[in-house]
Order: sequence, then structure tokens, then C-alpha cells
Amino acid sequence: MNRKLKNNLFYTSVGVAVLVCALILFFLFGIIIWNGLPAISLDFLTNSSSDFGATGGIVYQIFGSILLIVFAALICLPIALGTAIYKSEYLKNETANKLINTLIYSLNGIPSVIFGIFGLIFFVNLLNMGISWFVGSIILSMMILPTVTLSTYQSINSIPTVYRESSSALGLNKWQVIVQVLLPQGFSGAITGLLIGVARAIGETAPIMFIATAFSGVKLPSSFLEPVSTLPTHILALAQQATNPAALQNAWGSSLVLVILVIIFSISALFIRLRHQTISKR
Amino acid sequence: MLGSTSKIGKYYVYGSTLISAFIVFLIFTILIISSWDAITTVGLDLLKFQWNPATGEFGIIPMLFGTLVVTFIALLIAVPLGIYTAIFTSEILPSKYRFIVKSLLELLAGIPSIIFGLIGIAFFSIWVQNIFDLQSGRTIFTAGILLSIMILPTIITLTDDAFHNIPDKYRETAKGLGLYKFEIIKEILLPIAKPDLKGAILLAFGRALGETMAVMLVIGSIDRIPSPIYNWLSPGQTITSKLGREIAETSFGSVHFSAMIFMGLLLFIIVLILTILSQNSLKSNRRLYE
Amino acid sequence: MKSTHALIVFLICIIFTSCEKKQAINIAGSTSVLPIISIAAEEFRKNNPELNIIVNEGGSGVGVNQLGEGKIDIGMVSRDITQEEISTYPNVTFNPISIGKDAVVPVISSEIYNAGITSLTLEEIAKIYRGEVRNWSELGGPDKEILVIDKEASRGTRHVFMEIVMGDKEAIAEGADLVLGSNNEEQTAIVQSDAAIGMLSNAWLNDNVKGLNIKMLDGSIIESSLKNIIDNKFPITRDLLIVTNGKPAGAVKDFIEYLLSSEGQKIVEEAGYVRIN
Repeated sequence: MNRKLKNNLFYTSVGVAVLVCALILFFLFGIIIWNGLPAISLDFLTNSSSDFGATGGIVYQIFGSILLIVFAALICLPIALGTAIYKSEYLKNETANKLINTLIYSLNGIPSVIFGIFGLIFFVNLLNMGISWFVGSIILSMMILPTVTLSTYQSINSIPTVYRESSSALGLNKWQVIVQVLLPQGFSGAITGLLIGVARAIGETAPIMFIATAFSGVKLPSSFLEPVSTLPTHILALAQQATNPAALQNAWGSSLVLVILVIIFSISALFIRLRHQTISKR
Repeated sequence: MLGSTSKIGKYYVYGSTLISAFIVFLIFTILIISSWDAITTVGLDLLKFQWNPATGEFGIIPMLFGTLVVTFIALLIAVPLGIYTAIFTSEILPSKYRFIVKSLLELLAGIPSIIFGLIGIAFFSIWVQNIFDLQSGRTIFTAGILLSIMILPTIITLTDDAFHNIPDKYRETAKGLGLYKFEIIKEILLPIAKPDLKGAILLAFGRALGETMAVMLVIGSIDRIPSPIYNWLSPGQTITSKLGREIAETSFGSVHFSAMIFMGLLLFIIVLILTILSQNSLKSNRRLYE
Repeated sequence: MKSTHALIVFLICIIFTSCEKKQAINIAGSTSVLPIISIAAEEFRKNNPELNIIVNEGGSGVGVNQLGEGKIDIGMVSRDITQEEISTYPNVTFNPISIGKDAVVPVISSEIYNAGITSLTLEEIAKIYRGEVRNWSELGGPDKEILVIDKEASRGTRHVFMEIVMGDKEAIAEGADLVLGSNNEEQTAIVQSDAAIGMLSNAWLNDNVKGLNIKMLDGSIIESSLKNIIDNKFPITRDLLIVTNGKPAGAVKDFIEYLLSSEGQKIVEEAGYVRIN
């Protein structure tokens, strides 16, 4: 076959693929914004929902979602920092390193619904913690642990060995080097990882729907062992009423709010990473 | 004093690593213990075609079938689409626009799966219903399409990275030989990027298998293999949609519950194998965790 | 480091506030009972602002299980509690209290209703669910394949419906095309189709989702009107139950008394059901 013809055919296929992808992207964001914007108003953002979520607002859903991820981040951070330091500063054995990497990637690969049933069996039933937002936070912290750990590890590991050596030469012991030299640097990696992690965690439904959320009646939780309402589970309840225009409108409104929250976290992560990169390049 | 903080620090570091490593084992153990009841009492009958808790039948084949078919459809659409698009972003698009494309992809990847479910139920299922003149648009095919869009960013991003990591000298040499772009990509770049592509596809495969919310809302949730078996325009059930819908209805400790967890265990093991395989294939797995 | 201190203070505050636990009633279960309870909870809280009432959906099976496992105080159940469920939780004394009456109505897409199928016998409906009748034309309707919508196995609406129509509350519906969950989800699927049959609580009927009248053996046609439910004429009726473990006490008792009061029963009526007294 003609080489030139083949080349042109190739260009055409690439063009078609790109077009399709672009259309998908614009379609998705188009409908989320187009359908979501009319639903959003100050009332929607500041009122509690009523009548199955078909009327009223989503203030407690927003609060619940934020509460879950804030605590997920708080639980995750110390463990991720410790693991990253161990991986970078203590672990010298190649096989052990490989094993830990495998475990971390495996944890990252576990389907979200598995986290949900694990939480249901282990925390809700075996530890008898009941359906509570705190269990949800613990589960979400497990989900984002690999992201935060690896992100922290990279930024600690990227610190030139010279820093460590010169600090030791100044008489600092290993732990002082870690705390005074490596941690400040590692922290920005941890924050980046946390932001990427919570951007993913805030949209998750399957891990929390059995263990942490309630449908209605939830205001501010007054203890650790109470369920909350969240945006994703709210959308789930509303999506089932997709032919009720009022409910559907609120579903789109909640979706837009959720997407905006995700974007805020993602962009902050990107911003911190870029700023950090330019600093370390100097 | 200094020594003791150093020691505490060391314990802390060891401790958190242990916790991190422990979680996967804990989940695995819990899943095995919880599904043990079903493995011992139901045994090989788990591999039957009927699921009816009222009569004690717990055949998981329909769910397994649905899971594999939905994922197959998703990959069939997303892999070629994703690879062609990645070729465009890494080989044709001027690199100053690359940042914009990457950001857009990250936005796409950031859309939560429940929103895909909403879009699926409000648009895709109705389109499928009208286009194919079906009784209902809640089909295996609808779920497959929805999933293909959801894994598209993974495939594009990883493939794009794979191509981008190939040094320019290959391209320049090939160009010097008078090869067309198509030939450069097919004969030179593709073989180099192949392990990474394999990793990307395996990773996307794993993600698609485990996706729950979007699938659950659009698949129709009937525990039955379509007849004839290739009629994917009919409703079905996946492991994840089954878990999502039925786990809360089952009483903790019953055989029914245990059989549900067994499906979860199966999914866990399959995805674990895929993750490890993809990790071995991806040379530059620094993006894996995003 | 300052931010770390602030964080610790913040955490301690949260832990302290969480210690003085506000009283809460946890409720979960049937989506048929949900409208009554969620509205009643909102009203009840107006007079008892200190009390939290947390309501979750999931179906009757979820209501029974979570009550059995002690996760909730009140289970919403729109069917009888099965023998199996009672034996699963030997330490729990299920105490069902009826708060209203409802009918489970076979529903069809408005297109089919308007094309002339307004009533069927129970046997005809059973044939559809058994998969023996697959096209509306076999019942005198338009030439369209029937979309048979079933519900998840432990849903109250399904138990009651299958008991009367198929003779067994856990009957397998060979003819089913879709299996869905809540009343909302089922209603949506029926509206989206133009040839569907399903089962819904009476309160979910509207212009797009038409309730079938039941043709009785003696030839009379019974409509799913509130009057027929009150008179027990409609063949598929049920009690809407709330279930507690043993005799209710404290806030739970107050809330149940409110539900049974004339104010509470008014909510039952407004939600589209029949009051019990």
C-alpha cells in the first residue's frame, strides 16, 4: 500500500480520536455547568435540604463532605510522613523497598467499593463503631495514603545527598537532619499529595455509602459516632429520581458544587507543585 | 535527651510504615475470614448461574460475566481512542500546549464517578434506548460506554508520558531516514513504549473492574447472563453493582453476606494481580499514584 | 509550628464538644415509609430542637437488619418481618407498630394506560412476571414488548406484591428485565420507558406513572383509591410499620406517640397514605 496514503489515513484516525475526546470533554463539562448553574443560588448553598432533597439546599452536605476529607487528611498525614521518611532515609534493602512499593501500589489499586465493605465489616460491625462519619474519614484516609506517601517520598528523596551530609558534618544526628532539613522540604510534597488525595476522596461514594452517611435529618454531627450527609451520596439519592425535575435540578447543582470543590483542590495541588518546582530549580 | 527523641522518631517512622504495609494485609484477611463461611458451606456451587438467597443459591457467574463484559467494552473503546489521542498530544501537538491538554485531562479524571452515574441515567441510557430502540437503556453496553469515558484519562495520560519519555534522537534519526510520521510512530516509538502501554492498559483494566457508582445506576442490576450471550444491549449485573445494591440488605454473618464478600474478595484478588503486573510494566511509574 | 498548635487546639475543641453528646434517634429502612418519617422528623424537631433525628433509606431489609444489629433505634418496614429475620436476631424483640396503611399498586407507563390497558387480573400480572406474557398485544394493548421491572429481593414493596400476585413473597420473577431499588428509582425507570410494568407504593403514582386497576375474579374492577384501601377492597394492601427493639422508651417513645397523634396522622395522609385511626 502507498506509504503516503497510509500516513494520511493515520493522520485522519488521530484527528477523529482527538475530536471525539474533545467532544466528550466539552459535553461533560457543558452539561454539568449548563444544568448546574441554574440550580445554584445563595439559598441553595446556605439552606438545609428537605423533601427528599428535591427542595432546599445542600449546606450540610457540603459541610459533611468537607468534614470527612479534613479528618481523612489529618489521619493520613502523620502515617504518610513516617512511611515516606522510612522509605527514603532508613530503607536500604532493595527487596524490602520493592515489597513496600508493591504494597503501596496495591493499596492504591484496591477498588473503592472494597474499602466500603471492609469498613462495614471491620469498623462498623467488628469494632461496633456504628455508622459514623469518623469511620468514613478513616476509610478515606486509607484510600489516599498511597498518594500522600509517594508524593512526600518524592520530595524528600529529591533533596540532594549533599544536604544530608553537610548537616551531619555540622554535628546533627540523623533524626535532627530529618526534622530540620528534610521535613520542611517533605512537607510541601505531603501537602501536594494530600490535595490530590482529597480531590479524589471528596467525590467518592462507594467507600462511604454503607458506613458513614445518612440520607436526611443530619445537621452538624455532635459526636464522632454520628453519620453525616455528603454531596456524593446526596447526588446518588437524587439521581434515582431523575424524572422529577426539581430533584434533578438539585442533583445537577450538587454535582457542579462537587466538581468545583474537586477543581479547587486539584488546582491548589498543581499550584503548590509548580511553585515548589521553580524554587528548587533556582 | 537527643538520643531519646531520635529513638522515638525511629519508632514513629517504623510504626507508620508498619501501618501502611499492614492495611493491605488487614483488608485481605478480613475479606477471607468473612467469605470463609460461603467458601465452606456453598463451595463450588458459588460457580453456578443462579443467585437467589431465598433458596440458598449463590451462583456468582452472572456477576463475573457482567464485570468482564463491561470492562471489555470499556477497553475496546478507550484503548484505541486513548492511544490515538495520546499520540496527538505527545507527537503532533506543539509542546507549549501540552500543559493545557494535561490540565484538561486531569479535570476529566477528577469528575467523581457518581456524576458519571447521573449523566448516565439522565442522558446515556436514554440515548441508548432511543438509538437501538430498546425497552430500556439500562444495559451492559451503556455501562461499558460510561466506563470507557471514565478510564480514558488514565490511558491518555500514561500513554502520553510513555511517548514523551522517549528521547528525541530516535525521532530525528528516523526523520533523517525519510520516514513518514506514521512509520516513525509505528516502527520506532511504539515498540519502545510498548511495556508502558501494556502497564497503562492493565492499570485502566483494574480501574474499570472496580468502578461502582456509575455502573450500578445504569446497568439494570439483573443477575442474569444475557441470552443470547452476545446480546450486550440487555441489562446485567457486575460484582461492584451487586455489592453496592445488596450488601446493606444482608445481615452481617449470614451465608448471604459471606457470599457477597466472596465476590468482593475475588474482585480484590483480580485487581491486585493487575496492579502488580502493571507496576512491573510501567518503567516510569511515578505517575501511578495520581 | 504555629499552625500545628492551632490545629491541636482545634482538635481538642472538637473532642470536647463531641463529649456532651446530643440525643439522637437513628432511623433507617423502607423508602415507602420514608416520606412520612422524614417530614414528621422535621416537624417534631421544631418542638424538640435538642433532639436529632437521623433518617436513612435502603429498603425494609436494611431497616430490619440494622435494627437487629443495634445500629438504629427505629426500623422502617413496609412488610411483615420474616421468620428468617426473627431467627437471625434471637436477642432482639421486634416490636412493630403500624403508623399507616398503603397499597402496593401494579403500575404501567402512561402510554400503555392511554392505549387502553387500564385493568388486569392478578393472574395476568403474574403471567407477565413469570415471563409467560411478553408483549402488551397479548393483553389487548399495543404491539410492544413489555419491560418488566422487578425490585431488590428484600424490599417491602416486593414482598407484599409477590405474596399476593405470585403467592410467594420471595418468588423469582423469571420475566423480569430490570431489578431496581427505591420507589424513586422504579418510578423513574417507568417514566423513562413507554412499555413498562412495575410495582410502587400508592403514594408514588402520578400522571406519568399510572396505577393499574385490578380486575377481580367476579369481574368487578377495583381502583387503587384511598377509599378502597380504607375499605380493604384493594387486594394488595399493607401496613406501614415502624419497628423498635422491645418497648420504646424516652425520646423514641415520644416520637412514636407523635406519629400516632392526630398531627402525625395528618402527615401520613398528606404523604398520600391512609391514616390508621
